[in-house]
Amino acid sequence: MNNIVLANIFRFLGLILLQGLVFKNVGEGWKEFPYLFVIIYPLAIMLLPLRTPRVLTIVLGFVAGLMVDGFYTSPGIHASAAVFMAFCRPFVLKALEPRNGYNVNYSPTAARWGIRWFLQYAAIMLTLYLLFYFSVEAFTFVYLGSILLKTVVSLITSMIFIVIYQVIFNPVD
Amino acid sequence: MFRIFELFLRLSGFFVFLLLEIICFILIVKYNHQQQVIYENSTNLFSAYLQKKSKSFADYMHLTEVNDSLSKENAFLLSELANMPKGAGGGIDSSRLNQLDTTFQVIPARVISNSVNRYHNFIVLDKGSRHGVVPHTGVVTANGVVGIVRRVAPSSSVAMSVLHLQTRISARVRNKGYFGWINWTGKNTRSFKLNDVPKDALVALGDTIETSGYSAIFPEGIMLGTIEKIGLEPGSNYYSLDVKYSTDLSRLSWAYIVKDLRQREKLELLDQVISDDE
Repeated sequence: MNNIVLANIFRFLGLILLQGLVFKNVGEGWKEFPYLFVIIYPLAIMLLPLRTPRVLTIVLGFVAGLMVDGFYTSPGIHASAAVFMAFCRPFVLKALEPRNGYNVNYSPTAARWGIRWFLQYAAIMLTLYLLFYFSVEAFTFVYLGSILLKTVVSLITSMIFIVIYQVIFNPVD
Repeated sequence: MFRIFELFLRLSGFFVFLLLEIICFILIVKYNHQQQVIYENSTNLFSAYLQKKSKSFADYMHLTEVNDSLSKENAFLLSELANMPKGAGGGIDSSRLNQLDTTFQVIPARVISNSVNRYHNFIVLDKGSRHGVVPHTGVVTANGVVGIVRRVAPSSSVAMSVLHLQTRISARVRNKGYFGWINWTGKNTRSFKLNDVPKDALVALGDTIETSGYSAIFPEGIMLGTIEKIGLEPGSNYYSLDVKYSTDLSRLSWAYIVKDLRQREKLELLDQVISDDE
């Protein structure tokens, strides 16, 4: 029990630091192609145990987003996207529910439900996050084309890093 | 009563979601309209301290490039020195130095944080009010204009990058005198547009665009870019001029803050004239 909580706290802080200090710099060197971003910290929200209360998930999303915003000097933008993603989490989980249901004591990880299931789950959640994030960042739908392009390109690169994270840590809970 | 409570509990996730989104949007709108307030806070944040540390490491990795550009700048400064008024003995005649126009004071600064991939980019510099930086001063490098200081903390300051959709810089075509203003298109870091140049102006591809000095922020004659494409929009009296920007903002480590010592004097005079007219 305590192990799960501790693991989640470490993952939460670790992913935020990784995002703010390392992955923030990816993409800033691509001057001719400003569409590539690597966003992996939502993994901290995605991997929360299944029995985490809904409200707590959303509040944690808000906290994580605000902390990342501290690094990106963009108050509210990451936070709003993370809150949105956390809100959608139960619906995504419901849509992907295996035939014999979930064991609520587990976390939604690749080790528990298979890599295929996890990739689907992570891709949907990240798409929701990125779409919301880039829309809010532009704050208008005038740049719809570039918002979609940013979402697709960033989704692909971010998923690569999420898979690498899975391969290195392979978290069970 | 219990039913209402039950309903509330069932929808609590949704309410928390709504509440937090509203908070986020208040933050975002505030940030869009008064970056100053937010940035004053964010320069003091713990994350700024961490970024400073991570930046000092990154600086170390880029030492060769930085050295290269510093030596180029040194060369430029030496050539400037050569143009100083000379005395009879060949040395610089300091008695005539006073007659030079010392309107501008230059403060070198290190770039702590910089972004180029958003629509509203900002640059954090390590010099602040303690070093004499004031808001509305220009930030330049040897290659050209970088941004405008918006908010100053004691030992750091935040500049609005030229890569910000709301930044406008008064510009002119070198040696030809046609003037207008330049802004970022939001596409890539090198693509800018020069506006308000009338269609009867004689501009050519490759013409150099420089600061006009009309805005009391930048001295005149600082390189901005070159004309890349000349377009004519039907129904408009002005050219649509695509400009290739001279400075690569994605590789910025050092910059100079240029302080116009007569800025207040100029602006006050202008205000006076405008209020006299009304």
